[in-house]
Amino acid sequence: MVDSRYTRQMTLPQVGESGQEKLAQARVLIVGAGGLGNAVLPYLASSGIGTLGVIDGDAVSLCNLHRQVLFSESDIAFSKSEIACKKLSIQFPAIEFKSYSEFLTGQNALAIFRDYDLIVDATDAIDARFLINDASILTNKPFVHASVYRFQFQVAVFNAHQSGSYRCLYPLSPTNRQTCAEAGVMPTTVAMAGLYQANEVLKYFLEIGQLLTNEMVLVDTLTNRQTHFAYDTQHHDFITPSFFARTYTTIEKIWLEQTKQIGIFLDVRNDGELPSVTLENYLRIPLTSLAIQLSLVPKNKEIYIFCQSGNRSIDAHHVLIENGYTNVYCLYETAAQINQVNSQIS
Amino acid sequence: MRITYFGELADITGKTAEELMIKGETLHEVISYLSSTYNLTSNDFCVAVNHKLVAMDKDIHLNENDEVALLSPFAGG
Repeated sequence: MVDSRYTRQMTLPQVGESGQEKLAQARVLIVGAGGLGNAVLPYLASSGIGTLGVIDGDAVSLCNLHRQVLFSESDIAFSKSEIACKKLSIQFPAIEFKSYSEFLTGQNALAIFRDYDLIVDATDAIDARFLINDASILTNKPFVHASVYRFQFQVAVFNAHQSGSYRCLYPLSPTNRQTCAEAGVMPTTVAMAGLYQANEVLKYFLEIGQLLTNEMVLVDTLTNRQTHFAYDTQHHDFITPSFFARTYTTIEKIWLEQTKQIGIFLDVRNDGELPSVTLENYLRIPLTSLAIQLSLVPKNKEIYIFCQSGNRSIDAHHVLIENGYTNVYCLYETAAQINQVNSQIS
Repeated sequence: MRITYFGELADITGKTAEELMIKGETLHEVISYLSSTYNLTSNDFCVAVNHKLVAMDKDIHLNENDEVALLSPFAGG
């Protein structure tokens, strides 16, 4: 027996009793209970999505209240996911809410995602979007993306019905990015973006309309102009459990004495940087040109990266991992320390 | 050809669109020109030609009537 509160939407021929039952069976995880999450959550709950998970490790603060309308002043300093679930469960008692008062990480993402049918990207950080994207691919879950920059927002549905992923738009994490805190945002802009997301979620489960797959819509709320950008689906075969672990957990490091003779020692310092290092199977490719000289780096051998201080090694590690290399390590030793170790051995 | 800027790129360039008077250029050359003019980092945006996202290092020849859009990823939410 379906709740009569859904009568108005069940009257729609595209919904009906069978559609309402699909929504009731659906399990949706919302990553982030900020501006987007506060717009998505009430409408997914009010539409009758059966199970809603909310993950956010943040606490409510005063500057959130203008756009995160589920929260009030008495909620300040309390968990966003807890408060959101608590308030919505009063309004929608038939819906099952599950709160995760923690941030999504490489450690918890895969296990949590497996409990849901669809993921909503309601975060405010690009690094989190890559994490959601890659975890969605590994767990084979569709995810509905939205993000905001001042008066503009973009929405897309990834990893659904053979559509592409966030990496089809942005293959690599950018070096510069501004959050709402830095760039500023109006509550109406982020709310509209969240409602676009909620609408895509409902369409996905109801199997109606045309999803934003293989295209991204960009809305400028100052001009009311919508622009659709199509993209080609690219398969990112490098997103494997091994890649995921290395990218979103910790960088694997190794001491020189633990390395294997058949491995490759990759020096990512610039040409001419001293001291010179003498090692067997030595390869020097400056970090700045590594991405375009990958053909010189064998994929079937262990790669031991080093540089002058260790910082560029970490960046080079990311470049190799993102290009499908699996046995990649950063040396604990710097170039100068390698020479010290070698002189002690000899 | 028409160049449009979205997101943070509109703030960096100080404009949402401009007309570029060049002929017979490839996408790669146009992006290089815009990157040096506005001091842009190629990792920080994606490029669309006539509303289709493309790899910016592709050797695509552009016509006067083409519209090239530069989109920065949006972080907020």
